[in-house]
Amino acid sequence: MTLLSVRREVGELRKRVKWMALIVLIGMALIVVRLIHLQIIDYELWATEARHNIEKHVRLPATRGLLLDSHGNPVAKNRPAFNVYVTPQLLDNEDIEHVARLMSLDATQKVDLYDRIRAVPERRRSQLVEMFTDINRDQLAALETHGRDLPGVRVISVPVRTYPYKALAGHTIGFVNEVSAEDLQRHPERGYRAGDTIGRSGIEAAWEGYLRGHDGELTLVVDVRGDEQTGPHRQLREQRREPIPGRNLKLSLDMDMMRAAERAFRGHPSGAAVVVDVRTGRVRALFSKPGYDLNEMSAGLTHERYAEIEGNPFRPLIDKTVYESYFPGSTFKPISALAALEDNILTTATRFECPGYYELGKRRFRCSHVHGEVDMRSSIIQSCNVYFYRLAEVVGLDRLAKFSRDFGLGAVTGLGINTEASGFVPTREWYTKRHGDQYRLGFTLNAAIGQGNTRLTLMQLAMTYAAIANGGTLYVPQLVEAVLGPDGTVIEELPPRVRRRASIKQEHLAYVIDALYGVINDPNGTAYDARIEGGVAVAGKTGTAQVSWRKPTEGDDPKRAWYFRRSHAWFAGFAPADHPELAIVVLIEHGGQGGKYAAPVATKILQEALGEEIPVKPEGGGKTIATRGSR
Amino acid sequence: MPLQRPLRDQFDWGLFVAVTAIALVGVVNLYSATSAAPNALREIYIQQIYWLVLGAGVAVLVASIDYRYYERYAWGGYVAGVVLLMLVFLLGREVRGAQRWIPVGGFSLQPSELMKVFFIVAMAKHLHDDPRTEGRTLKDLIIPALILALPMSLILAQPDLGTALILAAIFGSIMFLTPLKLRSFLTLVVSFVVSAPLTWKYLLKDYQRARMVSFLDPKSDILGDGWHAHQAKVAIGSGGWTGKGFLQGTQNQHRFLPDQHSDFPFSVWAEEHGLVGSIALVLLYTTLILWGLKIAADAKDRFGAVVAVGVSSLLFWQAVINLGMVCGMLPVVGITLPLFSHGGSSVLTVMIGIGLLMNISMRRFHF
Repeated sequence: MTLLSVRREVGELRKRVKWMALIVLIGMALIVVRLIHLQIIDYELWATEARHNIEKHVRLPATRGLLLDSHGNPVAKNRPAFNVYVTPQLLDNEDIEHVARLMSLDATQKVDLYDRIRAVPERRRSQLVEMFTDINRDQLAALETHGRDLPGVRVISVPVRTYPYKALAGHTIGFVNEVSAEDLQRHPERGYRAGDTIGRSGIEAAWEGYLRGHDGELTLVVDVRGDEQTGPHRQLREQRREPIPGRNLKLSLDMDMMRAAERAFRGHPSGAAVVVDVRTGRVRALFSKPGYDLNEMSAGLTHERYAEIEGNPFRPLIDKTVYESYFPGSTFKPISALAALEDNILTTATRFECPGYYELGKRRFRCSHVHGEVDMRSSIIQSCNVYFYRLAEVVGLDRLAKFSRDFGLGAVTGLGINTEASGFVPTREWYTKRHGDQYRLGFTLNAAIGQGNTRLTLMQLAMTYAAIANGGTLYVPQLVEAVLGPDGTVIEELPPRVRRRASIKQEHLAYVIDALYGVINDPNGTAYDARIEGGVAVAGKTGTAQVSWRKPTEGDDPKRAWYFRRSHAWFAGFAPADHPELAIVVLIEHGGQGGKYAAPVATKILQEALGEEIPVKPEGGGKTIATRGSR
Repeated sequence: MPLQRPLRDQFDWGLFVAVTAIALVGVVNLYSATSAAPNALREIYIQQIYWLVLGAGVAVLVASIDYRYYERYAWGGYVAGVVLLMLVFLLGREVRGAQRWIPVGGFSLQPSELMKVFFIVAMAKHLHDDPRTEGRTLKDLIIPALILALPMSLILAQPDLGTALILAAIFGSIMFLTPLKLRSFLTLVVSFVVSAPLTWKYLLKDYQRARMVSFLDPKSDILGDGWHAHQAKVAIGSGGWTGKGFLQGTQNQHRFLPDQHSDFPFSVWAEEHGLVGSIALVLLYTTLILWGLKIAADAKDRFGAVVAVGVSSLLFWQAVINLGMVCGMLPVVGITLPLFSHGGSSVLTVMIGIGLLMNISMRRFHF
């Protein structure tokens, strides 16, 4: 090897080593560029992901607001229920046996427990899985005492909605249950999550936004397995956002009055009653029988139980105070009378002869009795149809319809809960459309006595009678009086809302009220037998509404068929007659005569509601009324 | 010889400082990387210190004997290394589906690591004995190729794709030192292109293919094979400019980083010390590698130059592939970061290499 060749070789080697150094620099520069990309340019992205990695969000559910009746008694509240959660990964068979022993499970329940723990998919085995809900006191005590050596088992308290009055006012209060997949899909903006509770009916549904509150959140720091960390990471402390409990609602409902209604309805399988304060339109009682236990509904019904409730011929699922509309029968007569007076068609002095029927063309319209010569007052007291047939002839259908609407009939009242039927008040135009040019005067005659095609809800009728009692002010029925904070402070008062003022002369009202007083207190009155001697002075009108002909369907119990053909018994009125406070409407489905069946229920309820507040029995109701009327 | 300076005056301080700095930072980082781990793993940084001290001793030993002495026994070492690789199949214990370790006393020896050094020395010996300066033909590559093929096939059979690739990369780097005829070069490129798909189909194991796929499409299986790579990226990226602070890396402390002490310690470092710390570490490695290349350029003979290039390329390829893999630029292959990753065999191998570099550096003025 010559020196020259060595030199050349060394030169070549150095050149190549320099190339290598360049490759090294390029390689390392690529790494640096990548680091800048990761750590500076995309920093936010990775930092967020790193934070999400170690954060676990635990929801702190908000307590649902309470519903309180007018006395402040809770009608919907929350009680703690205890649910058992397990972490399957941390349980061996011995532990499961232990749990089964502590919870006193029988053999099949134990097998079921094993199956369910085994069925948990691999990715969820390190998480808490719900195993038992609402365990009883003994199970809770056993788990709390001996559960310490079972790290894979946790008892968690969750609020459960309870309804101390069970079925009473059930349709009105409503119930809650778990949100469905459909709810989650349809209203993603409301922020519900699986397992949340949602109001399903009644006030619970209508006031959901107030009752629900806002969930809080606990942010825990966890490791890769989801285990809580208590490490010394200064920037990562567990954070807690407290839940905001839902608002409490003070209702106008008076559960004592509801109880009174419940007692008064004993013996009647199906019916409804509405009581409102005539001075404010606040609803004091909304009773629909039969009902359903809200606790049972909230917990969820089995298919069999649901079929049983739905198959009940008395229709427990229907809210008969607002959802169903009925022929009002003779309870409509005061409206007809007021229409006639107000438009000066008849006077209080007008008299008609009642031979027990009225012939119009070939048709004979019947009356209950032969009443002889009657004026407006006595025709109301005795519920003479003939008088009102004659009245209808001169007043006409459209005037009746206009007046009905003026008093809020045939339209929804605006109660704001559940689905409210609008009812129906027919007009001449409607009949013409329906029957071509075959409009007949008979339609008007029927309308004047609340039959034919007039359909009303109890709620509507109650507001109308309240308007008659208070001098013509038609209120929007109101169920919620105030929105309260968790400590009971009033956050929002909800004042009574007037829907309209009926244009009616006070003297006409006084005249009709005097007649209504006579219905109960005049010995000829249709509800005379229902009066409570020495009790609250009640004014009102009975009604016996024929039911629409019902097609007998197969499977109908022939023994029951007679029942479903019987008329509905009505009573609508108010008390005390001289200074009215409460208006009431009672309907007993297929109860028969209103005076005989519905009126006593109404007087009983009113007596219980107002009895103690009226110290002296009014002397001769007629005089009292006269005083009032002369005002 | 009056011209010769005493050896101790020729001590290569630059090399020493670079190596010491990386090793110290590595130990500190290992302490943090395992601080949240179960007890047994938490002692790992102490083990690493033992290995580094032992490695330093070996390095001193290696450096103090004139490297020309090693030239004489190059083939012996190579054969010993190959025999150890074969012993793996007889005595080896299987970890995660691969046989890579031989139990020796209380610990496990990874012969594939040591083989890297024996291989470098053997290659240097071959090139030293075949000192041609004109371009080589394919025929001239047969013997070097065989030197590579024997250990590489044994390592691939373990299987240990990462180490095999490193061996190939070192081979390529060493061969880069000698000129190659253009025709031969083109032939090599063409045959690689042809063989790559066949390798993919027949030679790679399922898990190796899965790693490649998850690298090419990281979102395809974020909870499976892509998970390691993804969480490492999260750790690095969330480090930002200056990092979360020592022992404050959430990804590490909350155990989102698997293999944080063996293959992924850099992700811990980058998370805790940010871009500033990461670049500092990259600069340390760059300095060390360039220093090694400078030693190669200054080496007084071909053997020394080739050994220095071999050791430098070992450091470079391991560093760049490991960093690239941790940063998500390359698929996950089991390649350690020299002096930073935990592992006795790896530390010993690197320290022997450093000893060789020191040896060549100190004797560059001897003739």
